Amino acid sequence: MTTLLVRRLLALPLVIALAAVFVFALPRISGRDTELAVLRSRTAESDPDPEVLAAIRTQFGLDGTAVEQFVAWAGHALTGDLGISYVSRTPVTGLLLPALGTSLLLAVAALAVAGLAGIPLGVRAARRPGGRLDRFLTAGSVLGVAVPEFVLGTVLVLTFAVYLPLLPATGWGTPAQAVLPVLTLAAFPAALAAQLVRAETVDALGRPHVAVARAKGLADSVVLWRHGGRLALTSVTSLSGLFLGGLLGGAVVVEVLFAVPGLGRLLYDAVLGQDLPVVQAGLLAIVVVAALAGIVAELVALALDPVARSGAR
Amino acid sequence: MTAATPSIPAAGWASRLRRPARAGAVLLVGVLVVVALLPLDPTTTDLGQRFAGPSAEHPLGTDHLGRDMLARLAVAARISVGFTLVALALCAAIGTLLGTLGGWVGGALGQSIQRLVDVLVAVPAVLVGLVVIAASEDGAPGPGPLLIAIVAVGWTPFARLTHQLVARERSRDYVMGATAIGAGPLRIATRHVLPNLTRPLLSHLCLRFANTLLTVAGLSFLGLGPQPPTPEWGAMLAESRQFLFVAPQLALLPGLAVVGTALLVTLLGRALERRWATGPTGQF
Repeated sequence: MTTLLVRRLLALPLVIALAAVFVFALPRISGRDTELAVLRSRTAESDPDPEVLAAIRTQFGLDGTAVEQFVAWAGHALTGDLGISYVSRTPVTGLLLPALGTSLLLAVAALAVAGLAGIPLGVRAARRPGGRLDRFLTAGSVLGVAVPEFVLGTVLVLTFAVYLPLLPATGWGTPAQAVLPVLTLAAFPAALAAQLVRAETVDALGRPHVAVARAKGLADSVVLWRHGGRLALTSVTSLSGLFLGGLLGGAVVVEVLFAVPGLGRLLYDAVLGQDLPVVQAGLLAIVVVAALAGIVAELVALALDPVARSGAR
Repeated sequence: MTAATPSIPAAGWASRLRRPARAGAVLLVGVLVVVALLPLDPTTTDLGQRFAGPSAEHPLGTDHLGRDMLARLAVAARISVGFTLVALALCAAIGTLLGTLGGWVGGALGQSIQRLVDVLVAVPAVLVGLVVIAASEDGAPGPGPLLIAIVAVGWTPFARLTHQLVARERSRDYVMGATAIGAGPLRIATRHVLPNLTRPLLSHLCLRFANTLLTVAGLSFLGLGPQPPTPEWGAMLAESRQFLFVAPQLALLPGLAVVGTALLVTLLGRALERRWATGPTGQF
């Protein structure tokens, strides 16, 4: 297990370096004039003064060859300086870190809600395949596939903010404001987790060790949870690792819908505003967090599953 | 498909339509398709009739600019569903090609395609959409970047499923038989193996439709798709969000259209899958 951890951690700088090269190359693929983009993000002037363009080039480190620019940019990035936003003219790091924190909080809360709702539901449904709860779950997962976040969020806002004025419709900062975005984000992972846990538990309940446990006279619920449901947890953890990475960048819709100042929204605004330093930093942050989440999920899965542990050296 | 009932193809369809639920569903889809193809005008504004309720002139009322909601929803259906179908066809073509290649050749090529799929399948399409727009020359959203974003990650489930199916079919006796009579690998793959995979791939196509439609509408909702005044379900919902307190139906109707369409095709896919169940379905 330690070997695996070391190997993964050694691979991490490589992943980040590749991502950095890609992120740096991104705006240069199209051959778009960056200094024009800066100017355009500030004024509507169509015929810019060459002196102004030269000043912008110097200010944002855009003079020199692409390799020189990359070395300078990557060197600064290593010291935590990700450049200056073209739009707000403040350091990108100061914009990125709070947004990253907000997004992490949102994603972890949504994953926790999804797990707390989805896992018990899946285990219970596995108890009687084809039973009432099982059919309810199947119908729910079909709905989960067909209802997008922007419709679910809108319906939740209509119900709990417009018709029953219980919760605020938008914003971020108070626990009440977090309820609707977290629920909206948690719905799909919850349906997926329930479906997955159900299938794994049904499979586990058919195995010999469960028959032995029953023969020993263990209570039905103990067999179900300790011998059936526990086996399903490994696949849920590996899936949630994938999801955490995806949720960070994929929560754009929810963050825009509920005006949550997270990473997805920062990136969205930056792309539409052609604010390249913020786009680059945001993408890099997502890759780093997704890679870390993958490693954590893998380790948790190994800690939970002795069979996989004996296989991974 | 007709091969399922080779002896009585016509009578088969007739008897299937006799079941009331199925006949009702077919009728509903027929009516919706006809409405979507009516020559309606979605862009004429009538500021004297803003937020009007249902009337003979405007069966579903009007929006914040006095445009007919029925016309907008119907024209948006052509755009949303049409765009989804184009994107889905591209995803299916690329995914099936790479999946067949990987599953048939196997080895290093198959492994590297699988690894690529493993990585890309976890990347949200919204993120790819933003990256594509950031890398595009004018940095402006539109149908082009939207299509690239969806296809860039949307081919992966098809590749994964086809890979599994082809790898399984490879060891079948009929493949050995075809090899024995001297058929080349290309001929076996296209003439013998792929026709056998039509059914699982078709039902998978139906199941992926919902996901693709939701992605198209979701990206349009963010303003990353067709630009106003082009009606698109997701974009319509986004546009009407600021009037949620005044006229919630303006947001609910396009939402209902998205969910209803996705649900209908998903249920069709599940029905096909149950009827044709033969192996891996590419679902979790």
